[in-house]
Amino acid sequence: MSALTQGTATPRGGPSTRRSVTDVVARVAMWSAFFLACVPLVWILGSTILKGGHMLLDSGWWTNSQNGITARRVGGGAAHAIQGTLIQAVVTAAISVPIGVLTAIYLVEYGRGPVARLVSFMVDILTGIPSIVAALFIYALWVTTFGFQRVPFAVTLALAMLMIPTIVRSTEEMLKLVPKDYREASYALGVPKWRTIVKVVLPTAFSGIVTGILLGLARVMGETAPLIILGPYAKSISHNLFDGLMGTLPTMINQDRAESLQPAVDRVWGAALTLILLIFLLNLAGRLVSRFSTVRA
Amino acid sequence: MLLHPLEGNTVKITRTSQVAMLALLGSLSLAACGSDNNTTTTTPAGTSSASSSGSTSAGDCLSGTLNAEGSSAQKNAIDEAIATYGEKCSGATINYNPTGSGAGIKQFIAGQVDFAGSDSALKTTEKDGKVEADDAAKTCGSPAWNIPMVVGPIAIAYNVKGVESLVLTPSVAAKIFSGAITTWNDPAIAVINPGTTLPASAIKVFFRSDESGTTENFTKYLKGAAAADWTADPAKKWTGKGEGKEKSAGVAEGVKSTDGGITYVEWSYARDNKLAVAKVDNGAGAVELSGDAVGKAVAAATQDGSGNDLRLKLDYATQAAGAYPILLVTYEIVCSKGSDATKQANIKSFLTHFSSAEVQAGLEEIGYAPLPSEVQAKVATAIAAIS
Repeated sequence: MSALTQGTATPRGGPSTRRSVTDVVARVAMWSAFFLACVPLVWILGSTILKGGHMLLDSGWWTNSQNGITARRVGGGAAHAIQGTLIQAVVTAAISVPIGVLTAIYLVEYGRGPVARLVSFMVDILTGIPSIVAALFIYALWVTTFGFQRVPFAVTLALAMLMIPTIVRSTEEMLKLVPKDYREASYALGVPKWRTIVKVVLPTAFSGIVTGILLGLARVMGETAPLIILGPYAKSISHNLFDGLMGTLPTMINQDRAESLQPAVDRVWGAALTLILLIFLLNLAGRLVSRFSTVRA
Repeated sequence: MLLHPLEGNTVKITRTSQVAMLALLGSLSLAACGSDNNTTTTTPAGTSSASSSGSTSAGDCLSGTLNAEGSSAQKNAIDEAIATYGEKCSGATINYNPTGSGAGIKQFIAGQVDFAGSDSALKTTEKDGKVEADDAAKTCGSPAWNIPMVVGPIAIAYNVKGVESLVLTPSVAAKIFSGAITTWNDPAIAVINPGTTLPASAIKVFFRSDESGTTENFTKYLKGAAAADWTADPAKKWTGKGEGKEKSAGVAEGVKSTDGGITYVEWSYARDNKLAVAKVDNGAGAVELSGDAVGKAVAAATQDGSGNDLRLKLDYATQAAGAYPILLVTYEIVCSKGSDATKQANIKSFLTHFSSAEVQAGLEEIGYAPLPSEVQAKVATAIAAIS
């Protein structure tokens, strides 16, 4: 790039002042924008680690729940919330991945005409839904209409509503990246369309799809609105999706955020750091998968 | 030619899917372990006796789960009661979500929680075309009872350099919080505080910027005891003067860091932040805030409901000797008769523990006032009548 500009500039006897001024201004603007964007990130990470880091070093944090602990007492851990968050994330993924991936396959490989346009339009609308609206929709359906109790499964339904459109969109992009030549070569060998999709298109786009899923998952794991409305906090460990309440990291933070007592304050920072860490690991996994196996067109 | 890249891809896929599988399995196996047992934790003095002696026998322990929601004012009290109950009855799970009194009542009426905590009793008058008490009765299939359980004193906390002790009358308090009195050395304050040197600094009032039951109960007091000086109707939203701060922690912090600051806040926050608390003189002499003094005011209240519905009507202008009149009462709202016998038995068992003398006595340590014995007797009768 620089060699190119120098190459074009040299015949005229060096770069003009106007150009170099523009260059410096643009460079300064770019770098300061970058640092500005980093300030909140570093700030948040720094203060969470400083205030919550020591909580995570205690082994009880990972193995014990908050059962029998009050805002005044030290001790206990976040095992119930970590497990709740992970279980809900896995179930949310189990619901949204098949629906999302199949919808994307339909849109890219089969969808033609008004039906496909309608589906695509609906996905666009779903993408724009605020999480609180998704939560209230599920509340209206699950509690008001059906008269069920608020259970963790209802939370996963609301989270799936948020996750499906992101999976559809990312999978769609990945499938579109698969070269037409692959498909045509497969057809030329007499392979039927469905087999081409299963054996050629999906494998080629696999890593991209997985990355999209992991990033989508990382996004919904930090969601709070559906949890506050549909999944009240519980201090003890629960693995039952259809009965009782399940504690999660976002609701654990929400529960004690207004406390001024030190044990509770420490716990809130600890839970925040744990949540950041979990989501960071998921993001990292997503990046690694995409780094080590990208779609090669 | 084409086969090779494809083959390469399939190999990669199995590897990545293996990694994904491993990650999934890892998270699931992590989810399988963990312990709810935190019994090694030391319990604060005063409440530890509940675990060893235990007035209720182990046969009264609940089996299963109770879910409750509502007032955030009683959060620390009910958390303490749940913790001591758990020490006595391991295996019991009680969840309490402090989402606010209004939310608790809504979820109770929607049948989402087993009992609700509220800073005001179910309303028996129509509001927005709905009567809370009737709606709750419809959900229960029987009248819903308001059982007073936690008494939360509201402190008038201040921070004035050199002023160790301050007495306020309802009228002067109303004038301070409405902005009619603006300096600490105002004659109205000086007259009721003989012997105290008051500075000429300005009074900085802090109030709750969020909607709060504390604001409602404090303004109820001002209106009830000094109607001439406080004309606004009691409400969850502050109508007086001053600077807004979010939540109890916010106003307490505001006063702590501001010389000349004053606010109304739950006693526990005033204590935790080591703020000076004003004595209140309702006409029968200055009364210092203590669990005992608040209990006297609760005992002076009249019962508003019938039978075992223990709605209290507080007398804010009470002249009873030694009674501290600014307080809020948190009720547990329960179905008097429920369809689920085990659930009702569980509620009875837990509320019996919560209202027991030793748990109530332990609450004073964390900034609440114990139920006075005459109210406690009525509460015990009501709980026993739940079926």
